[in-house]
Amino acid sequence: MFMSLFAWIESTVIARSVGGSLMFTASLSAIHLLGFTLVMGSSLLVNLRLLGALLPQRALNEVTRPASRAIALGLAISITTGALLFSARATSAIENRTFQMKILLLLAAVVFHFVIQSRVTQRPQPGVLALRTTAVFGLALWMGLAVVACWFILFE
Amino acid sequence: MTILEVCEWLETTALGAIAPATLYGFQVLVGIHILGLILSVGTLLWMDLRMIGISLVAGPLSEIQRSLSPWFFFGFSAMFVSGFILFAGFATSAYENTYFRIKMIALVLAGINALIFHVMAKKMSADWDAAQPPPALVRFAGLGSIVLWSTVILSGRMMSYTMF
Repeated sequence: MFMSLFAWIESTVIARSVGGSLMFTASLSAIHLLGFTLVMGSSLLVNLRLLGALLPQRALNEVTRPASRAIALGLAISITTGALLFSARATSAIENRTFQMKILLLLAAVVFHFVIQSRVTQRPQPGVLALRTTAVFGLALWMGLAVVACWFILFE
Repeated sequence: MTILEVCEWLETTALGAIAPATLYGFQVLVGIHILGLILSVGTLLWMDLRMIGISLVAGPLSEIQRSLSPWFFFGFSAMFVSGFILFAGFATSAYENTYFRIKMIALVLAGINALIFHVMAKKMSADWDAAQPPPALVRFAGLGSIVLWSTVILSGRMMSYTMF
């Protein structure tokens, strides 16, 4: 059932336009990387601040709020362009282990950042240990995603 | 010696052989290049946003610069070294690629923009740190940096589709 859905996605006009034009694919991929850079730069800012390695004298909210908005914007850009790139090769991508890992890590990193980490940082007096623990997990998830995304570009 | 001849010579050196002739050398170098780019541009962006006056405006600009610079330079070094080794391996194809030329022009302009800002900031950082909103020149340098580095990323990715 799912494979027929992905086959249908691949047969749509937009998917065929993406797949049929190298320049369209390249442009989408370039914008995808731009969005991903925004996500990664902002997540680094948040997690390094939580670790105390960056801007330690700044209030947490002053750093985490704009960075979270930038992560959301970067995600909107990279998910939109990523979905268009995916549409052109949906059936092969969905069966690819590296792609599956990339999507799982993305979901885990997003849920962790917007649900768990934001709750910890919004506490009136968050403990240093709690902040540093979430920073280590956050860094591991986002960096893991970056490495797997690079792997997918280069080896798949 | 023309630029093209320098490119041809580079490809014959030991450095030029790393990417095309070693197992996974190309992939590892591109991976380091992309991760270095993400780290350098991702952190630089926040300094640019402070310069424009959009974000992190509560504290002085010099504090942001001091705090973010080591991360930027670490990422930039990784990006530069891996990029140069990749270039040495495919120098003639890169030299003939339009997107590579756009990328290099944007990179040089971004460097000049940063250098001018750095020299002027040394003389005027006391005024600039306190100014709210930042002076027009500072905002212009921040916006210019975002536009130029975005051009570097976009043309770099386009290059990989049109070169190999």
